[in-house]
Amino acid sequence: MNPDVALAVERLGDDGVLSAGQRRHLGRIARGELVSIRPELRLLLYGGVLAIMGGVGILVRENLERIGPVTIAISLWTAAILALAWALRKAQPFTWGRSAPGHVGVDYILLLGVLLTGAALAYVEVQFTPLGALWTHHLLFMSLFAGALALRCDSRMVFGLALTTFAAWRGVAVSPLERTFWSGPNDEAAIRASALLTGALFVLLAVAFFKLGRKAHFAPVASHLGWLLVLFALASGVVLRDPAGTMFSLVLLVVGGGLLAWAFYDGAFSLFAMGVIAAYVGLSALVVRVVPAEIFGFYWFTMSGAGVLVALLVGNRMMRNRGHED
Amino acid sequence: MRTDVAEADRRFEVRRAARGWSRAGAIDEKTKATIDAAYPDDRSRLGPVFRVLVFGFAFMAVNSFFGTFVAILASELKGAAAVVVLMFGGALILATEFMVGSMKRRQGGLEAATAVLGLGYFLGGLLWLIAQVGSGGNEEAFINLALGLFVVLVGAAAYRWGYWFFAAAAAVALFILLARLPLGRLSWMVIPLILAPVLLRASESVKVPPAHRHSAAALLVVSLVFLYLAVHLGSWDERIVEWLRGGTPNRSSSLALRPFFVAATALLPVVILVVGVVRRHRFLINLGLVAILASIVTLRFYVHVAPLWVALLAGGFVAVAVALGVSRYLDAGDDKERHGLTAEPLFDDDDKRSALEVAASIASSTPAARSLGTGEPGFQGGGGRSGGAGATERI
Repeated sequence: MNPDVALAVERLGDDGVLSAGQRRHLGRIARGELVSIRPELRLLLYGGVLAIMGGVGILVRENLERIGPVTIAISLWTAAILALAWALRKAQPFTWGRSAPGHVGVDYILLLGVLLTGAALAYVEVQFTPLGALWTHHLLFMSLFAGALALRCDSRMVFGLALTTFAAWRGVAVSPLERTFWSGPNDEAAIRASALLTGALFVLLAVAFFKLGRKAHFAPVASHLGWLLVLFALASGVVLRDPAGTMFSLVLLVVGGGLLAWAFYDGAFSLFAMGVIAAYVGLSALVVRVVPAEIFGFYWFTMSGAGVLVALLVGNRMMRNRGHED
Repeated sequence: MRTDVAEADRRFEVRRAARGWSRAGAIDEKTKATIDAAYPDDRSRLGPVFRVLVFGFAFMAVNSFFGTFVAILASELKGAAAVVVLMFGGALILATEFMVGSMKRRQGGLEAATAVLGLGYFLGGLLWLIAQVGSGGNEEAFINLALGLFVVLVGAAAYRWGYWFFAAAAAVALFILLARLPLGRLSWMVIPLILAPVLLRASESVKVPPAHRHSAAALLVVSLVFLYLAVHLGSWDERIVEWLRGGTPNRSSSLALRPFFVAATALLPVVILVVGVVRRHRFLINLGLVAILASIVTLRFYVHVAPLWVALLAGGFVAVAVALGVSRYLDAGDDKERHGLTAEPLFDDDDKRSALEVAASIASSTPAARSLGTGEPGFQGGGGRSGGAGATERI
């Protein structure tokens, strides 16, 4: 409940700003007489899905010999089909726009169905190798399958999973990113290049969603993941020895600067933040390379930090003046 | 807390609620503009993204400034370093007071950074000075003094500036200090039981400013967490509270009191959840759910009723069934509500909630990356590396 809002609703009702219906409905919520527990139910569903998938993983691993591969495969596929069928039945009718809020369980049962399908596919593949040499494409298949279901059921959560599965197919683990880039694998350069390309593809996908006006509310998921991949890939190169390190710092500065300029113009606050941090990391890496003295480092971070602060405060005011709300 | 700040916060609460109503289509733009005009906000505030950025850069710039200062004057500071740290902290506290008061800054990141750093430097400098003066003294007494000073200073800052995280931090320090005093466990039980009704009432009282209401809620959560820790069976068996006091805990009374701790570990989470549902307090409902999960894990730790996979599958299915069942029950009520609860979204920011959920699902369910250099299947019986859409050992 919020007593200040409750008082305000009464006053606004008395002044005629709110209608009688608005006053009654908004007043009940402000006084805590009507409370939505939808987030708590979603949390419970999410925890349940994670627990089920954890149990399935251990079940398959520990009871492979006892239960047998055919029984396990049939069980996994059956469970996946049941979950997906339930989610598809309860989902709102398909629309290229944003669906009206539907059943609280759709997102999570859909997620469960997709995860079970992934587990079943991988299990069948390992036990019976039906895909043969094409096995590496199962992640691509899963990504497309999850993406299609996400569009049908209007689930941004499953869409995010589809994108990260696609990135995994390209050899990039989005979670956690640092494990991919800083664990020192031999194919680091290949992973970095793949991350850059995948990130760029996600950004283009976001642009397409937005420009075509089809599922435009999915665009932020794709754009954030895309820029995250691009910027992390570039930032991972900053620590390389010269001249590669300097080149990556410079590119990070330019790309981060470009992103922040575009996000500033477009009013995309979170992308603006990513751009600011990326550009600052790139610039600082260049400066510290040029003047490695410790005392200058302190001086640089004091002055540049203060400079960025002023720029942020001015930038925020300008964005608000343009009608953008953070 | 300054009265002008409290009044500005009250108006901001109304404006924020109106923004939610407008976003959900409950009021039109004209009504929202009328409400904004009726409740003007004279504070300089930032949105969450800019606030985090400003906090981060201010934190870095202030620390670097102090680093520059120390690096230049290191040789001159030898005996007076603690005083310099203390004075730097004091200056930052004054700067915070100036920004919150004269500059009318609120939720701007900058004043929060100077508040955190000011308290940190001031407390650090003060303790450093005390340690210099009383060198060779009782270490235990020094730790108690440090905790006591932390509680007083950070608690005062929470009261003055209204930051709930200061209130929570001071409460945590207070409970640790209590554990180090005689009857520590008993005080962990008694104090939350006394405070809980008072804090619950304060968290929804119109007489209390919004920032202090949030602080009261934070204090309530911290108190209940420590109450749960005090009555938790594992904490009793391992003497965790007594261990904080130092020395070797006495375990002689362990068996006699065990039934009480067994019952309390099982019942307290349910009581919190029921109070949350009856009083329609979402943070109590959340706390109750988390505590129930912790108690189930405790049960599994003590009693191996079934293999882990059975426990996980059963727990998962129960959680999903409960969520779907409650949702169905509420949806079947008049206007999709029962007992003042509904599963319908009211005025939540759907985009922000969705962003959090997407981030959580990506963090927990993303499959491991395919190796670019190999061509063998990756699903391994002993914890495979790949699988597709999350079929990894990390699920």
